[in-house]
Amino acid sequence: MTGQEKKFSMVGKSVPRVDAAAKVRGKAQFTDDMVLPGMVYAKIKPSTMAHGHIKRINTGKALALPGVLAVITGKDSPTPYSVNNHLPTECPLAVKKVCYYGEGIAAVAAVDEETAEEALDLIDVDYEPLPLLLDPLVSMGQDDVRIHDFAPENINVSGYQHFGNVDDALKHSDTVVEGTYTSSYVQNAFLEPQSALADFNPETGKLTLYTCIQLPHYTQGTVSRALGIPQEKIRIVVPYVGGGFGGKTEATPASLVASILSRKLGRPVKITYDRMEVFFQNKGRHPAVMKVKMGFEKDGKITSLDFDTTLDGGAHSSWGLVVLWFTAALTQLPYKIPNVRFNGRRVYTNKPTCGAQRGLAGVQVRIAIESLLDEAANKLGISPYEMRYINAVETGYQTKSVISVGHSEYKKCLQSVAERCGFLEKYGKLPFGRGIGMAGGHYSSGGAYLLYRSYRPHSTANIRIDTEAGVTLFVGATDVGQGANTVLAQMAAEVLGLDYREINLICQDTLLAPMDNGTYDSRVTHGCGHAVKNAAMEARRKLLAAAALDLALRPEHLECAGSQIYSIYDPKKRIPFFEAVGKYQNSWGTLFGVGEYTPPQPQGNYQGKLIGPSPAFGFSAQAAEVDVDLETGQIRIVKYWEAGDCGQPINPMAVEGQVEGAISMGIGQALYEEMIVGKDGRIVNANFHDYKIPTAMDMPEMDTQTVESYDPNSAFGNKETGEGPTCCVAPAILNALYDAIGIRFTETPITPEKVLKALGKI
Amino acid sequence: MKQVIQLHVNGMSYEVMISPRDLLVDVLRKQLAFTGTKKGCGHGDCGTCTVLVNDKPILSCLTLAIACRGKEITTIEGLDRDGVLHPVQQSFVNHGAIQCGFCTPGMVLSAKALLDQNPNPTEDQIRRGLSGNLCRCTGYAKIIEAVEAVAKEHGKALD
Amino acid sequence: MYLPQFEYHAPKTTEELVSLLSRYRKKAKILCGGTDLIVAMKDKVMKPDCVIDISDLAALCGIRHQEGKGLVIGAATKLDELERSTLIKEKYYALYQGASVVGSPQVRAMGTLGGNSCTASPAADTPPALIAFGARVNLVSGKGLRQMALEEFIRGNRETALGEDEFLESFVLEDPLPNSASRYLIMGLRGAMEIDMVNVAVNLALEPGKGKVKDVRIVLGAVAPAPLRAREAEGLLKGRIPDDPLLDRVAETCALESKPIDDFRATAAYRREIVGVLARRALKEVLSAIQ
Repeated sequence: MTGQEKKFSMVGKSVPRVDAAAKVRGKAQFTDDMVLPGMVYAKIKPSTMAHGHIKRINTGKALALPGVLAVITGKDSPTPYSVNNHLPTECPLAVKKVCYYGEGIAAVAAVDEETAEEALDLIDVDYEPLPLLLDPLVSMGQDDVRIHDFAPENINVSGYQHFGNVDDALKHSDTVVEGTYTSSYVQNAFLEPQSALADFNPETGKLTLYTCIQLPHYTQGTVSRALGIPQEKIRIVVPYVGGGFGGKTEATPASLVASILSRKLGRPVKITYDRMEVFFQNKGRHPAVMKVKMGFEKDGKITSLDFDTTLDGGAHSSWGLVVLWFTAALTQLPYKIPNVRFNGRRVYTNKPTCGAQRGLAGVQVRIAIESLLDEAANKLGISPYEMRYINAVETGYQTKSVISVGHSEYKKCLQSVAERCGFLEKYGKLPFGRGIGMAGGHYSSGGAYLLYRSYRPHSTANIRIDTEAGVTLFVGATDVGQGANTVLAQMAAEVLGLDYREINLICQDTLLAPMDNGTYDSRVTHGCGHAVKNAAMEARRKLLAAAALDLALRPEHLECAGSQIYSIYDPKKRIPFFEAVGKYQNSWGTLFGVGEYTPPQPQGNYQGKLIGPSPAFGFSAQAAEVDVDLETGQIRIVKYWEAGDCGQPINPMAVEGQVEGAISMGIGQALYEEMIVGKDGRIVNANFHDYKIPTAMDMPEMDTQTVESYDPNSAFGNKETGEGPTCCVAPAILNALYDAIGIRFTETPITPEKVLKALGKI
Repeated sequence: MKQVIQLHVNGMSYEVMISPRDLLVDVLRKQLAFTGTKKGCGHGDCGTCTVLVNDKPILSCLTLAIACRGKEITTIEGLDRDGVLHPVQQSFVNHGAIQCGFCTPGMVLSAKALLDQNPNPTEDQIRRGLSGNLCRCTGYAKIIEAVEAVAKEHGKALD
Repeated sequence: MYLPQFEYHAPKTTEELVSLLSRYRKKAKILCGGTDLIVAMKDKVMKPDCVIDISDLAALCGIRHQEGKGLVIGAATKLDELERSTLIKEKYYALYQGASVVGSPQVRAMGTLGGNSCTASPAADTPPALIAFGARVNLVSGKGLRQMALEEFIRGNRETALGEDEFLESFVLEDPLPNSASRYLIMGLRGAMEIDMVNVAVNLALEPGKGKVKDVRIVLGAVAPAPLRAREAEGLLKGRIPDDPLLDRVAETCALESKPIDDFRATAAYRREIVGVLARRALKEVLSAIQ
């Protein structure tokens, strides 16, 4: 069954987003836009040392400044946290030592932000410096300096997996290629700096925290632990979010500090980061050094993969474990690899912590593997396109790590992109300096388990239908700009035969909406979509039963469409949707539907098995055509192509937007972005001037298309599209550069200087 | 020393009490509750604080409020008329040029300033006209499409 | 991110401005666009007691040609006015290019020609072109007016010859020579909002008919504390026919004359290489424009 055959009325339509008008009028309220009566402001003092014991903090002068209401330090909340509460090391404010330059060590609440900022300068800190560990390869080689006492050799987590027999397979391969690849220190760079407005009610002991967070549920848990208040007394409300990309998954020190101060003062406290603080907070992509070896038969079939990675975690644990195992899982797709060995470790260093960034773990893996595929293709005399096509997974494939690919149109993606960009006509045939390269990838549509051991559903949705409010959808999903609200409304409207604009949405509020696993791992459209569909279906069932009675028909004869309920056999027998609702509620009260979704349990029995399996995988194939200025080394992307398998797009325009955005983030990492760390551990370019995300002048023409696809196991055939495409960009460009100038770059970013150096001109 | 000045914003006059050091972005957001203008970086590198002053796009995070006396300031809130969107705004909505929405106010105002100055820009000119507004969500593709669509439809200076 | 407190003055006449500067001297900073000053104040690199806002001083704005003198550009002229001026584009193309490439549309709407030179960042985009046109600056104080070459005015990294009680009133550019053309090229990473790694301005005039170089100025930016005249390279060109082998030598000489440093944006070796490339390209473009 394809999407076209389905004939949807709301799903599959490029409708304008439900919040577009509010955003374009400047009426959408982001956290820093919010004002509450009696609100005061706070600022956090960043450390000016990357590794050191805090010997003394003198806050007296700051407290004495007129307008200052409170000053707190680490001892006001010494409980460490991490997003999944695994090996937590980070505290809202550093307690005994600082582990990265910019770590918060004290906070001031004052009547206005200017005063709070002024007071920070009046806080004296004495540090006892400790040796700096800035290179993970150095950090993990020694044990005499431990960033965290419990972590010998500064290793946060490490892991090993072996499926099949890699050494044997390599020995018997016709061709073996290997290389060391490096992925750079980049970050999410969302335009909205994190902000938190905490409102503690001293009478009830309840806290409401307004903050731009992707995971309200986990934030509740973090705040609960940090403040020592039961979770039910904490309400997380997420205003509009100005981009997250993974960087707003973890509760920020700002949100915790604001909560602590609000409780202390009994009034609302707002903290908003400056851009420099956003850089210091980081929680972006893990730099990785990957040593990779792959074996091939002479027809190009992959025999084996030996993958070793060292992830630079920065100062704290953050997503730690998840990133490690996800890396392992992502090596096994989107190609059939019968023998896979994974060796990995995440290492602490005295730098701003790495967390989650769009395409988490996938970007690094694809840099290595997609480059090696090209190298092997060259050696074997087959085209990079053919190399990918013959190894591409198909529907029903199961990896050696027992990860099932329920549905895949990856081959169609490869075909589509190769055709549209003229790959075979161009590859190896363009004049020196001009080249074309391709790369492919995949990503999960949500994982198989929560961040803590529990079997509870990952998403629950309620639908309330009555004549008082119409249709109201309660679902915990958090829209961070990807368009979740809109597509969920489209799905509910599809089931009920209404216009998506009629759906009232109550989302991203832990009091009003049911628990949701949150916005990460590209799970919302798929996971919340299932829950929403199930809820809508239940409501629909109840409503049609009532309508059937009224129309003297069988419920199964009835259809919902165009805000009407009518018999498919006798369309003259009909009743307007809300008239039916009226009749229902007269007899039974408000109409409700509840739906939930839990992904299938992971199979397999090995270390790390819980992380990687997904109910559905999206796929992408991409190509970049580059033109290198051989005198300056500048790289111009002439054109960029993408073909995506996201199943049935719920909103094609939104899908395109997501893909285009993913490509721009990928181009940023490939060519422009890098956080530069000084010898003292400080990020030297902690601003948008020298941390260069692409401007409108830097983006090439993009030709993106989805391939015909429909996943029968999804609510509406849909699969992820927001993260997978990010993973293919850097390797597509690296491969294009090889075609253009015969140099195989093995790192990002590729700057003009690196090009000239590689060409031997400097 | 605080003083009272008059600012003309979105066609209306407002009296605000300010110090010379107060930045236009903060006065607009905090005192006049025009929170559509955003603070993304504080250094003039991202464009989210863009407002129009005498029809020219400027960075309100690097502008003193006191220096804006007697000038016509237009924020994003001044574009729509009773909920009817300005053509640039409507085009952004129709073309999917808005994702998280944080860059949107500044981007729309820069686009409006561009079209007022050059009603028929080429794609390159559009990219250039928007080069001071960063966006992390869209890759700019649909933003440019939206601006092109307005130019095609209207082709003359918009009010 | 807030500014420290300061006194604010917005003089309505140049006399008022002169009087304020005489009073406050180095305790004052002149505000015109704000794109440099306000950033410096936010970063606590500058903490003036007094800010003198001259953005509304009409006397300091405008592009006027004065017979016998040349082109006079008011120091408070916005960069976007230079970008849009047909006169600048026709006669002083390198300055059009320099003004057009600064920052972003917003920065060009706010920033001024005078501000760009007074901030004197080594990578600034307008000084090289101005110097290539032999620009002179008019400096005014209570003591009167003095004039000097812009080349001498900018002394080093964020260092100028501006007196404590002085302001930069205007730039004076010579009329372009007949048979001349100019170009300004930059090297940066992104297409906008860049601090150039290297920039080069060339202003060259050929002898009519003979094809020999009559006069040339080559100015290198971002490769020394102040814009650097590549005088040796210029010397190679004067009086000669600029054929390709000569241009190669000139480009190489420019590279050797440059004094770049290593920083996190680029290494000295890379910058030196780019100086040669941009110099050669600028020269070729200029020569082709003259034909």
